[in-house]
Amino acid sequence: MRSVEEYVKVRKRRFFTVTFTLLSLLITLALIHVSVGSSTENPFKIMSEAISEILHGYPGIASYRVMRLTASLLGGMALALSGLLIQTASRNPLGDPYLLGISSGALFGVVLTFALPLIPLYTLVLRPIAAFIGGVLAYLLTLAIASKAGMTTTSLVLAGVAVGTTLYSASLLPQYLIIQNIHQLFAWSQGSFVDPEPLGETMIFLSLVISLLILYKFVDVMNALNISDDFVRELGEDPAMLRKLLTLIASLIASLTVAWYGIIGFVGLASPHVSRRLIKSGDVRFVLPPALIFGSLMTVAADAVGKSIIYPVEIPVNIIVSLVGGPALATILMGLKHETRG
Amino acid sequence: MKLEVKRLSVDYGAVKALRNIDLELGEGVTVLIGPNGAGKSTLLKALACIVPYKGSVVFNNHEISSLHPSERMKLITYIPPYVPALPDITIGDLLLVDTSMDRSRLNYYVNFLDLNHLLERRIWEVSSGELERALIARGLSRNSAIYEVDEPLAHTDIRYQVRVLKELRELAWREGKIVLIASNQLNPIMNFADYVIALRGGELFFTGPAKEFLKEKIIAKLYGIKVKLLKEGPYVDILPIA
Ligand SMILES: Nc1ncnc2c1ncn2[C@@H]1O[C@H](COP(=O)(O)OP(=O)(O)OP(=O)(O)O)[C@@H](O)[C@H]1O
Ligand SMILES: [Mg+2]
Repeated sequence: MRSVEEYVKVRKRRFFTVTFTLLSLLITLALIHVSVGSSTENPFKIMSEAISEILHGYPGIASYRVMRLTASLLGGMALALSGLLIQTASRNPLGDPYLLGISSGALFGVVLTFALPLIPLYTLVLRPIAAFIGGVLAYLLTLAIASKAGMTTTSLVLAGVAVGTTLYSASLLPQYLIIQNIHQLFAWSQGSFVDPEPLGETMIFLSLVISLLILYKFVDVMNALNISDDFVRELGEDPAMLRKLLTLIASLIASLTVAWYGIIGFVGLASPHVSRRLIKSGDVRFVLPPALIFGSLMTVAADAVGKSIIYPVEIPVNIIVSLVGGPALATILMGLKHETRG
Repeated sequence: MKLEVKRLSVDYGAVKALRNIDLELGEGVTVLIGPNGAGKSTLLKALACIVPYKGSVVFNNHEISSLHPSERMKLITYIPPYVPALPDITIGDLLLVDTSMDRSRLNYYVNFLDLNHLLERRIWEVSSGELERALIARGLSRNSAIYEVDEPLAHTDIRYQVRVLKELRELAWREGKIVLIASNQLNPIMNFADYVIALRGGELFFTGPAKEFLKEKIIAKLYGIKVKLLKEGPYVDILPIA
């Protein structure tokens, strides 16, 4: 780099290249996603059929495929946003709703509602609320344990793993005892877009839109928070309050995805990370769009593979996503070798 | 231009970091010294409203804590010695974090402190001195009336120490800025001091022209060790006696 001006120009150019490339990839994958299933179809035919099915009010295979695509697009985006917010709020590159126990807490909250004798409509409304309460409480527990352990990058994650695994098992065990349909339960605990609920998609879509509108106001302070609390205070904002706001939004979005699609790990961890590496910047304004697209890329790709590769068997999304997510975690860990530097 | 500090106190919970400080800061270079934990960084942060204070800090008839943050940032810049940033933040991100930054000034200081080749480097992949230079460049690029520099000599090598101190003196003398530098490196910083503020245990120990401060007895009392002053022309060296 010869000057700041050149740096700014290169960063902007790189942002557009990366965003455009990822977007083209996502569109290609989305077309593949709707075209595969019980039979391979022309994706554009499926889409036009879906529209006419919806207009005529009798849903069929075509509209199911489009709904499922929408679910996986939104799910990945929501997880990516949640991860980015947690990473900023905790100033920790390993921030992820799954790694830090939020997802398992949300799962546990949902499972508790199963125990209540409710009519089905009620559970649909209660499910996301219970997920949110479970998710937030689990994260508070993770934070409490981590702060007793010195609140380092790794202690936060280890606390999250402790909380997460406990709640995950606590969620699954009673179900094995009560529920007969183990196969479906397993799919849910490992993430699945098999049952795209219109209510769920609407909720996630709205929560994404509202969150992004709120966050638009906070980009500058988020950038400051990524660097130092003092930079936030200088802007006249309270870093503790900002952290709470970001954490709450992140937990809400992540819990909603768990309520409707089950547990999907690593998308929140990997997406912002990949985005930062590709554009070579940590500026939230530039990191956010590619991160959201990459999140969708992960879930859409995983679901397309999962639903078609050994049809009619569904491979859960989480299993495929973790094939990418695990190595991503390893890469980030290796990049943290300087953590102890004073 | 004058910054008037009256009965300033800062507490961190039970820790009383500063007690009843009365000061007047004018144009020129003021060096802020005192033992570790004396309250130097706290004083700088309080004046920049980064930590809340009791008492009053008035600049041009305005209480600085009641100014709008964007107004205050035009008035006063605190330059920290270190930032605990997320590892993927680059030096470029750090320099450009204030979107209102004057780009030509920034360009000037990036060249001045040789940072161009580091712009795309992640913050964890630069040396401590390089990070310190980036923080100084970011701070000086803000065209504010008051610069508060916290430990600019902690990691920078002697080339940059002299370059930064000379620049701060230029800013003070030519452009009439108020420059306040906190440091534990009495050499070479005392050679650049017009005024000295010394803190000890959260209280004001000395304030006045540097000439009046540079006495073996005063320095010895401040730090609790014997020192020897070597003076030659306008220069002074402070040597601790082991
Ligand atoms: N965030 C904090 N919470 C509690 N106590 C603090 C905090 N920051 C500083 N202190 C305490 O306040 C006092 C003043 O600290 P300060 O950082 O201002 O000292 P300093 O003069 O800058 O020291 P140094 O020479 O080591 O930089 C010290 O006793 C320190 O332990
Ligand atoms: Mg200090």
